[in-house]
Amino acid sequence: MMNRRTLAALLAGAALAPGLALAQDRPAPFDNPGEVEIALVRYLSTGDFFQAYLSGVERQAEALGINLRVLDSRQDAALQADMVDQAIALGVDGIVIQHGLTESMKDAAQRALDAGIPVVAFDVNVENEKIPQIEQSDRDLARLALEQAIADNGEAWTAGYVYVPGIAPLDRRNETWEEFKAKYPGIDEVAMFGTLDNPIANSVANQARSVLSANPNITVMFAPYDEFAKGVKIAVDEAGMSGQVSIYSADISTADIAAMREPGSAWKATAATNPAVVGEVSVRALAMLMADEDPGAQVIVPPTLITQAQLNDESITNMEELAAKLPAFAHADVAAPDWMPLPSAPAQN
Amino acid sequence: MSVRDLAIRYGFILLMLGLVAFFGLAASGFLTLPSAIFILQSVAITGILALGVTCTLVVGGFDLSIGAVATSALMLSAYVMVVWEMSALAAVVLCLLMGAAVGMINGFLIVKMKVPDLLATLGMMFVLLGVQRIPTEGNSIATGMALPDGTNATGVFSPAFLALGRLRLWNVLPLSVVFLLVIAVLVWGFLELTRHGRLMYAIGSNAQAAALAGTNVERYKVAAYVISGVLASVGGILLAARLGRGDVASGNNLLLDSVAAALIGYAVLGASKPNAFGTAIGALFVGILLQGLTMLNAPYYTQDFVKGAVLVVALVFTFALTGQQIRRA
Amino acid sequence: MEGPAIRIRDLRKAFGPNQVLRGIDLDLPSGAVTVLMGANGAGKSTLVKVLCGVHSADAGTVTLDGRPFAPASPAQALRAGVVTVHQNINDGVVPDLDVASNLLLDQIADGSVGVASGRALRQRARGVAEAVGLRLDLGRPVAGLPLADRQLVAIARAMAHKPRLLILDEPTSSLSAAEADRLFALIDRLRAQGVALLYISHRMSDIRRIADRIVSMRDGVVSGLFEEKPLDTAGAVRAMLGRDLSDAAISIPAAGRVILSMAGIVLRQDALPFDLTACANEVVAITGLVGSGKSALAAALFGQSAPLAGTMTLDGSPYAPASPIEAVARGVFLSPRDRRANALVADFDIARNLSLPFLRRHSWGSFIRWRSEAAMANRMVGEMGVICRSPRDGILTLSGGNQQKVAVGRWMSEASRLLVLDEPFQGVDIQARRDIGAKVRATAKDRATVVLVAELDEAMEIADRILVMAEHSLAGEHRNQNLDLSAVMRQVTEAQQGAAA
Repeated sequence: MMNRRTLAALLAGAALAPGLALAQDRPAPFDNPGEVEIALVRYLSTGDFFQAYLSGVERQAEALGINLRVLDSRQDAALQADMVDQAIALGVDGIVIQHGLTESMKDAAQRALDAGIPVVAFDVNVENEKIPQIEQSDRDLARLALEQAIADNGEAWTAGYVYVPGIAPLDRRNETWEEFKAKYPGIDEVAMFGTLDNPIANSVANQARSVLSANPNITVMFAPYDEFAKGVKIAVDEAGMSGQVSIYSADISTADIAAMREPGSAWKATAATNPAVVGEVSVRALAMLMADEDPGAQVIVPPTLITQAQLNDESITNMEELAAKLPAFAHADVAAPDWMPLPSAPAQN
Repeated sequence: MSVRDLAIRYGFILLMLGLVAFFGLAASGFLTLPSAIFILQSVAITGILALGVTCTLVVGGFDLSIGAVATSALMLSAYVMVVWEMSALAAVVLCLLMGAAVGMINGFLIVKMKVPDLLATLGMMFVLLGVQRIPTEGNSIATGMALPDGTNATGVFSPAFLALGRLRLWNVLPLSVVFLLVIAVLVWGFLELTRHGRLMYAIGSNAQAAALAGTNVERYKVAAYVISGVLASVGGILLAARLGRGDVASGNNLLLDSVAAALIGYAVLGASKPNAFGTAIGALFVGILLQGLTMLNAPYYTQDFVKGAVLVVALVFTFALTGQQIRRA
Repeated sequence: MEGPAIRIRDLRKAFGPNQVLRGIDLDLPSGAVTVLMGANGAGKSTLVKVLCGVHSADAGTVTLDGRPFAPASPAQALRAGVVTVHQNINDGVVPDLDVASNLLLDQIADGSVGVASGRALRQRARGVAEAVGLRLDLGRPVAGLPLADRQLVAIARAMAHKPRLLILDEPTSSLSAAEADRLFALIDRLRAQGVALLYISHRMSDIRRIADRIVSMRDGVVSGLFEEKPLDTAGAVRAMLGRDLSDAAISIPAAGRVILSMAGIVLRQDALPFDLTACANEVVAITGLVGSGKSALAAALFGQSAPLAGTMTLDGSPYAPASPIEAVARGVFLSPRDRRANALVADFDIARNLSLPFLRRHSWGSFIRWRSEAAMANRMVGEMGVICRSPRDGILTLSGGNQQKVAVGRWMSEASRLLVLDEPFQGVDIQARRDIGAKVRATAKDRATVVLVAELDEAMEIADRILVMAEHSLAGEHRNQNLDLSAVMRQVTEAQQGAAA
């Protein structure tokens, strides 16, 4: 009985992807991937970034030939904890926790470990050394963007800064901003603003308009989140100040590429980690754990700097072309032991 | 007129003038023409939505779906132009039709299926939030995006469409502000000067009496939701033209801000009832506050706090000072 | 019959200057059903509210089984053994709870029964139900029960208090004949158990079925007590209405040609079909007790609900309006009863209330012509004699009588074929009543006018012809001249044979 089911799973796997014919060479349990199920328990899901992250998770799971169950709590912290318990009850073989609150996820993650289920966490600190943290390095993101700002504008400029405290990745990016301000006393932050009212870009645009009319001498806007940058760009355009102001940001999407490449666009550079790659890495790190290998306590996906000039020179119009023409953006050699199958198509939006 | 009557009638306007004076002194550049025009531009979208919700408030209803209608129009216009590569005109027409259809369905659920208005429009809100994401599998829409069939979208936002949100008449007055002003005048005229508006007020005050006076109550209620849906889609079109892409967003903040504007409108000139003029002033009031506070570098949470405080004060003006029973708030 | 359970002596109650109860003397014996009759405003609901603890009396005494009884709250009255089942059935039950919980609601509310154990609760509830012979599935939610069963649940719940006095306030007003029979069977049972029953109703068939004695109230005093069998129901009604009927001199003009003609009309299941005609230059009053079918007739005429059978013609052509809109389009106007609920728009001023039905007339395209509206409002305020500072005053600043003038005047600003006035004198002072009546008669020449009134003297003040309605059918017709009052009374009170079955 068991044998026949294994055979069927193998045949099904073989039909899906020829690479899986070699599945028996992989460490358990991936020698029999059709029997393996992992769960992705999400806190945030709305927006391009999270959509791309999911696609990366899906593609890596497909490459491994394992089953994926997506549980989406839609920003309900309590529900997210319940969903971890639900995943435990379903008997999944591994769990990826994507965002969430430390307070609600700490105990839930421990319960999963107690049930013998490996767990990795992306962008949420569950304060548990047995749970690897998948991170896009927010400090590196901010550093890359700000270094470009220094390179473009020198060490002294009047800045506007977009920030909403209390959001973990923004808080980490803020630390780097504070370091830069300490390091380069010529940076004069005359206005700090920000909101998460949605549509975020529209609300930020309204604020940025007010800021620009109160501080017409601003030359650099640091908006370390692409929705913020988009809003600032709208305001700069509306105020007719795109010749004077330069925008530096973090994160990227196809729409952002279009905005950066508009003629005379104030949006000069952004630093980004490909969210799809982060998704792939999350699953790979989990797979290593499941195969009793150690991905390390922190799995950091390195970011890439993307400038307006690069986009124009390479005529990049979307995330797919970005991944094709900037290989550093398409791949991360992280959590990739020899046996690990990689998604066939390059990572894209 | 007693002091109390004067306070009820002009108190809120005075409060607004006082605020303008304060910001003018505290923030340099506040009392300038660009600043004034910008305030209008920043409230154009919520103002238009608020005028729609005012129409549903007038018939004693409520429309919770306007935020979702606006973001659906945002997605739809982007989809029409970027994926289907159709013209700006097609995008505008389809968005308006979508808004009207949503209003019809809301009206049908409320009038024929007897679903309470809050519940029907809440349901519609969730339906729209889901529907607008289905075609793109939750992705935002922009030129070059990957389509489910593996190709890339090649359509672009046409310049004519973008002009709706970006063009400035005489290089000063944004088109969206013109839309706000025109729609405000139209809605005001409709509600105050036509018999249709009069009958809608009658329905909101005493639907039974209106029906026994030979009014087609059901038709007017549906009409109110259609107006609300169409105006919400206009707001969504302007939003799309400003953003230049199909952003995935819930529109809940649009809903809340526009409802706040409509409710603040109850207090303007002591109307104690939903009215277009008050709604426009209410939207302006919120815009002035946010502009002034942002110019003074006040963080975003203080803005929410102030917005809430203004709403509470407005409701106190309306309910406590006038001492009237209002049918709906 | 035992001695009186309740003895009321010189009971008085006033609200402000308004003397509602002006010295009530009344005994309510155990094991007997006392029917209480009284017109609107006679004070019967105030009397009931004093007995069940909602109001306290200003003066007078009430004794219950010889002990003084002056409840400070409904809960106290309940504990003392006075139980009331209200007219609105849903006041007596909680629809979302099951039958068992409803039966024990008072005990649950005062904490003597915990909700904890379902089985114990059912057991106790079964005891309550059996005591009144109620056979229902105790686990069903009350919302799923027919009206009559809900009523029985409310009564059974009341019976759990072992009442000395059970007050039933128009209990059959929403029940069918068959449903009412089940209620009467229960009342018989309670009477046999020695409970004193006070039964408020105007339905003659009910009264004949269960009454042991009839008490009539009028203007805050007991105006008649009838205990001799057979009960003199006509006398009771006369005592209830019995003011000196006014001798308003009506000169009856010659009726014009027939405008409204109704044939074979059936207003509800098991009511007798009837015919009715109304002519131009004629005011027809239709009188009858509350619940006799006047509202159903008005609804049929104004397109709110079609009659079950029969045909109507208006000016010789078929008339079957599907909505008030169609009725108005045919020139049939109706000024509804209860102006606050059905006629007045509270947010509107006088002028806007007046122009409401005919706004199109005061519009140019969609736009309101303010001058036309103002001219009409000024004209109607003058013609109806509305006492106000200006037509732009809020409608609620007016007295009741002036509000009613606006509500009626709205329908007299345009010419109609048939004008129906449903209770136009409800809550109206005597002067306003005279004004409205005179205006209706003075303008009646080119239309047919039908006035629906519960009070016979109001009918006599306004009508050329008086029709009597009973049991949802017409029971008599009289020319309003040398009226045979006793014949009218008999028809008002007598149910038609066959209809009551």
